[in-house]
Amino acid sequence: MTLATEPGASTTPRGRSPLEGVEPFLVELDRFQGPLDLLLHLIRSQDIDIFDIPIARITRQFQLAIAGGLDEMPLERAGEFLEMAASLIRIKAQLLLPRPEKLAWEEDPRAELVRRLLEYEHFQDVVHVLERAEAQRGRHFAKGYVADRPAPEGMRPELEVTLADLLEAASRIPEPPPPVLVRPPSKAVSVEEKVSLVRRLFEKTKRIAFERLFKPWGTRAHATAAFLAALELARQQILRIEQSKPFAPIWLFAGGWIATVGEPPEVELDAEPEQVVAAAERVGEP
Amino acid sequence: MKPEQIVEATLFASQTPLTAAEIARADDELTTAAVDEAITRLRETYESEERAFQIYELGDGFQILTRPEYASYLERFDSVPRSPFLSGAALETLAIVAYRQPIGRIEIEEVRGVGASSVLRTLTDWELVEVVGRGEGLGRPLLYGTTRTFLEHFGLRDLDELPSPDELPVVLSGLQVDEARDEES
Repeated sequence: MTLATEPGASTTPRGRSPLEGVEPFLVELDRFQGPLDLLLHLIRSQDIDIFDIPIARITRQFQLAIAGGLDEMPLERAGEFLEMAASLIRIKAQLLLPRPEKLAWEEDPRAELVRRLLEYEHFQDVVHVLERAEAQRGRHFAKGYVADRPAPEGMRPELEVTLADLLEAASRIPEPPPPVLVRPPSKAVSVEEKVSLVRRLFEKTKRIAFERLFKPWGTRAHATAAFLAALELARQQILRIEQSKPFAPIWLFAGGWIATVGEPPEVELDAEPEQVVAAAERVGEP
Repeated sequence: MKPEQIVEATLFASQTPLTAAEIARADDELTTAAVDEAITRLRETYESEERAFQIYELGDGFQILTRPEYASYLERFDSVPRSPFLSGAALETLAIVAYRQPIGRIEIEEVRGVGASSVLRTLTDWELVEVVGRGEGLGRPLLYGTTRTFLEHFGLRDLDELPSPDELPVVLSGLQVDEARDEES
């Protein structure tokens, strides 16, 4: 609800002209379908000649009318009112420009607005026609209007259940069983499998990175089986296990002594130091 | 059995309007012309006997409805839900569609000065308007028209029962307005 008062209403002497909008006018924005509806109301309620709209005054009244209500409106609706306010201001500005004394109607900046207002008002008349037709139709009743007679007693069994009955019945519903956690059976990994893997690899190479025995499978079972296989083969003096320091990569070497952890064994190189340096330099090459 | 009685029985038993063709299905001998004739005679009978009901034409259908002067009596009864009176936005949109159909959403919005998509969706849901085609313009916009339900809701036989545009108080034929419109188009 917005109480919009003409600026200067209190200073304007009463009785000058109803067109001056001396009376404060009450505008309830919700009542209006949109900006055209509001504008038409401002014009018609003040007996303004629609073909000679005092744009400055109407613009001011329109702005006052919407000022209080915009915040409570959905953005889209507020935008529609603001758009109208903007075009009113544009028309007002155009009217201030110097122009010839006598203007053809279509050159009047207000012409398009007047056309829209009249078109809108025209459809308001149609709305009234439809409203009357709807009300008229509402006075005719079709078969089935009077609600069905309630079914005679005895046809519908009474609901004879107390709250206690209901609770008692609810308590008889068995508790749902606790959810059973099902672990998908993992494929068993045998130590023998890893032993034969080690043997196969030793046919091709003298040295195996320990993680190569389980990394591709990525499960703890494979790592365990690989570890047990390595221990077993070491016990049988088929390989030796080497680790330079705790958490360093573990290497398996073909042949038989057991390295003690933390004590790096002397690694015998078949290559001369110069060859190692040359090989190291090549690493950087693409 | 006289056609009048067959037609009367059919209309009596129906809760919705029936077209002459629908009524004619009641009997193999019955033609739509005979139905129309029977309805005319029944109407005269109800009129002369001052019955509390009459056969009304709604859209292209016929329905037996009580006469309006009994509304105040019937309103005392618990009723089954009736179609509610439409909102201002719905009426405005229907007014524009009824007079300018087929018409697209944009044109409706131009007349109303407000968005029309949600009200069009509601009116489509209620089957008061329907998509009747597509426009030529950009994106081939949907064009809307009024439905049989529209006529039934407003108790109209056809759209010609609505006043023609120049019978309305605000006539859009003033010289100035025509010029303004010509300029726009």
